[in-house]
Amino acid sequence: MAALLAAGLSTSCATAPGGSADANDPAEGMNRKFYTFNDTLDRNIFEPVARGYVKVTPDPVRSGVSKFFNNANYLNVIANDLLQGKPGQFAEDTGRFLVNSTVGVGGLFDPATKLGMPEHDEDLGQTLGTYGVGEGAYLVVPMMGPNSLRDLPGTATSFLLNPINYLSFPITFPLGALAAINTRANLLEASSIRDQAALDPYTFVREAYRQQREFKIYDGNPPDDDFDEYIESEADAAILKIY
Amino acid sequence: MTKRLGVLVLKPLSLVLVLLTGLCSSPASLASEARETVETLHTALLEAMKGGASLGFEGRRKLLSPVLDAVFDFRTIARLVTGRHWAGMNEAQQTEFIGVFSQLSAATYAENFDEFGGEKFETRASEPKKNAEVVRTVILSPDGDEVSLNYLLARHGEDWRIVNVIAEGVSDISLKRTEYAAVIGQDGVDGLIAKLRAKVASYGSKNS
Repeated sequence: MAALLAAGLSTSCATAPGGSADANDPAEGMNRKFYTFNDTLDRNIFEPVARGYVKVTPDPVRSGVSKFFNNANYLNVIANDLLQGKPGQFAEDTGRFLVNSTVGVGGLFDPATKLGMPEHDEDLGQTLGTYGVGEGAYLVVPMMGPNSLRDLPGTATSFLLNPINYLSFPITFPLGALAAINTRANLLEASSIRDQAALDPYTFVREAYRQQREFKIYDGNPPDDDFDEYIESEADAAILKIY
Repeated sequence: MTKRLGVLVLKPLSLVLVLLTGLCSSPASLASEARETVETLHTALLEAMKGGASLGFEGRRKLLSPVLDAVFDFRTIARLVTGRHWAGMNEAQQTEFIGVFSQLSAATYAENFDEFGGEKFETRASEPKKNAEVVRTVILSPDGDEVSLNYLLARHGEDWRIVNVIAEGVSDISLKRTEYAAVIGQDGVDGLIAKLRAKVASYGSKNS
């Protein structure tokens, strides 16, 4: 992991031909190829399947499915609470996981939120961000989508900390497929906005991804910058960082 | 874009602090003006949502368009989204860009704020910045979901006008700026304007 991170930090400083420096995308050429690959696969298989799933599945069932997978992923959240030095949130999330796994029937229901233990969203990429690790190069991963060198290790840890992956294959496989369909279904609204609004979908997705990751690292409260330059002059750097 | 993006917890303590600072800050009149601009927009959006299908896309667009022109500072936005390319555009291009951009905004809002399901807009805070003001709001869904919607406003003569919208941490200007730079790089400024025009038309044609 350390080597991977080091690679990320060094590539983020170098600007490969075709990549633009402020977009943090030195591998843009390759990324665009994978983006097209993913997009083709998505439009032909995943999106239609997700739409079909939404059509035939009643809303309460879909909500239960989403809750179940969120809960199954919660050990990862708890671990990162700890890594980020948030003892209060760690205690709350541990309570949340225990309550929802038991009273909430394996996570299908979410009684914990009503008991004052709301859901949090943490992962290793965010933890590394709070440690001051730069985002590293933007990456489009085949079959997975937007990512970055800083976020990539987190996809491995979230896999390892998900109990579903330790069940036997005949259970893990169909559950994994359902997880993928559920994830895609929850993104239908986002992808339709992308299809509507984007002039250059690749860039649109990249910027939205990068900004949302930043937003999550700060738990929804990114620091404000001084707006002065941005309002008064055309300083590019300030415009990019308007929050 | 409302994928459940983590739960925004507004801690009771910070809420109290926000309320206190809101009450104590001296230029309260300016703060309330910026807030009013945002709330004017939200009122119009709610009207469009409630009018929904009976207004139709065109009805919602007509309703929203004059309001958007009054609350957004489209000239400043145009300058910011085109970044370093703005200075290289001639006056005709700049005027055309501002025009098509404001049409695009109206079409986008009309397309997306098309039905009402009990949502509420809530202003949480208004924070003065140097030459600017940030108004923090949320859209509350009946099922408890919260979408954060923050506005950056700049002084525009007597008024406060919106220059940026930040939805769940995604800044509209940053997003468009990067995207437009990519299009300008490929097709030039006129190519960008043509693409924006096509976008505007595509919104209208899909709907009655």
